[in-house]
Amino acid sequence: MTPTVAEVLMGNFMALVEPPPQESVGDYMASRISVIGMNSLLASQEAEMGAAVRVWENEAISAVLLKAGAPLAASAQDLSITALDALNAKLRLALIAAHEAVEAQGDSELDREILTLYQAMADRRMLVLPVMAAS
Amino acid sequence: MSLADQLSAYLGRLWARKVQVLDLTRIPGGASRETYRFDVDIEAKRKGLILRRDPVGSLIDTDRRLEFLAVQSFYGRGVPVPEPVALEMAETELERPFFIMGRIDGGKAASPFTVDAYGVYAATIGEQFFSSLGIIAKADPVGLPISDVAETPDLAACWSKQLDYWANVIETDQLHPQPIVWAAIRKLRRNPPPPAQKISVVHGDYRTGNFLHDGQGKIIAILDWEMAHLGDPLEDLGWAIDPLWGHYDPDKVGGMLTRTEALKIWEQVSGLKVDIQALDWWSLFNAVKGQAIWTSSAREYRDSGGKDPVLALSGWYTARRHDKIIADRLATLEGWA
Repeated sequence: MTPTVAEVLMGNFMALVEPPPQESVGDYMASRISVIGMNSLLASQEAEMGAAVRVWENEAISAVLLKAGAPLAASAQDLSITALDALNAKLRLALIAAHEAVEAQGDSELDREILTLYQAMADRRMLVLPVMAAS
Repeated sequence: MSLADQLSAYLGRLWARKVQVLDLTRIPGGASRETYRFDVDIEAKRKGLILRRDPVGSLIDTDRRLEFLAVQSFYGRGVPVPEPVALEMAETELERPFFIMGRIDGGKAASPFTVDAYGVYAATIGEQFFSSLGIIAKADPVGLPISDVAETPDLAACWSKQLDYWANVIETDQLHPQPIVWAAIRKLRRNPPPPAQKISVVHGDYRTGNFLHDGQGKIIAILDWEMAHLGDPLEDLGWAIDPLWGHYDPDKVGGMLTRTEALKIWEQVSGLKVDIQALDWWSLFNAVKGQAIWTSSAREYRDSGGKDPVLALSGWYTARRHDKIIADRLATLEGWA
């Protein structure tokens, strides 16, 4: 899933390293720094859970693909985020194709299972911002 | 030459008099335009203005002429919008196309990522918010400035025009396969809504955060018309009540009113009826549209070297929230093929 933690942290650096033009200091820069702070906070969550979520999702998709008659292994030796994302992309593409086939066949039971999987995938990928009061 | 000097020179030519731009300051104003506030000194009188200039990279690819004409369409017609002042499409003046509007001072916009954004004024602001949307929906686009450039779709084709457009955005910009949003797109195609009741001006991004309020219960400006077009009036309603804009309050749309209250106000003011099944379609569509916008944000963030943190937040946090909204909605739709 994009952007990755590495991209966001590099982006935070890039966003700060160039001095802004004179007309962009003040409110605009304050807002920009606030967003950079939020991105850093989200990056900390993604760094903590990112690998585990990807391993779980890859295995969960693989299990559904097996039921759909389109097996694709989720086993990974390389647990780097890059490798897990590459495998995840293959599995997600296979899942899209399998879901289309399930819909075409009218297999409501497996369709329901895939929709439940989508909910679980979205749940586990969620990032959380702290409660912020309006100013 | 500084931006302020360029702007002074432009306005001087436009108004055929000496103009001095003062206190030019960039302000936060969305990722689709660079937004600046400034004053002009004309013959010893000061006037507050806003400059909206095309950015180098953008969250969404939008037409500034449409945005300008949409604002012009409702200026003085019961919807609080800034005075449209000038539109410049040439890139010779300020390097990129831009337009200038009157500035409305004394207002604030709530971030969608805050809680209890409007406090004790939530209901009052909500009434104005959905009333203004009703006025926009009720207006006949024929004769309004936006009709000079906006395409008028057939009543029966509003949904497919929009769905095709945003599905294509996802197809073009996605960097990682997105099974949840593609399942929603297929579901929408299999279950089209009825033809639109009428063709209306669609603001395109009508939501909490895109209006200014005075802090005492009054909306003083509806902003961010950059995605305006003509289409089904339920499209805007579906976007306005999307849970993403609910300020984390599941019981109130836009963090302001219950859904029932909001729809009732909209119906009363617009004179139109809310077909709940049609609104369900437009609600799911709008979550797809949101995901398309966030997908483009992620693409633009990567392509531009990560310099705009707003694009990262949009392409990441909001994208995942919309995935959750879509997945939950797909799981609960009843009677859909």
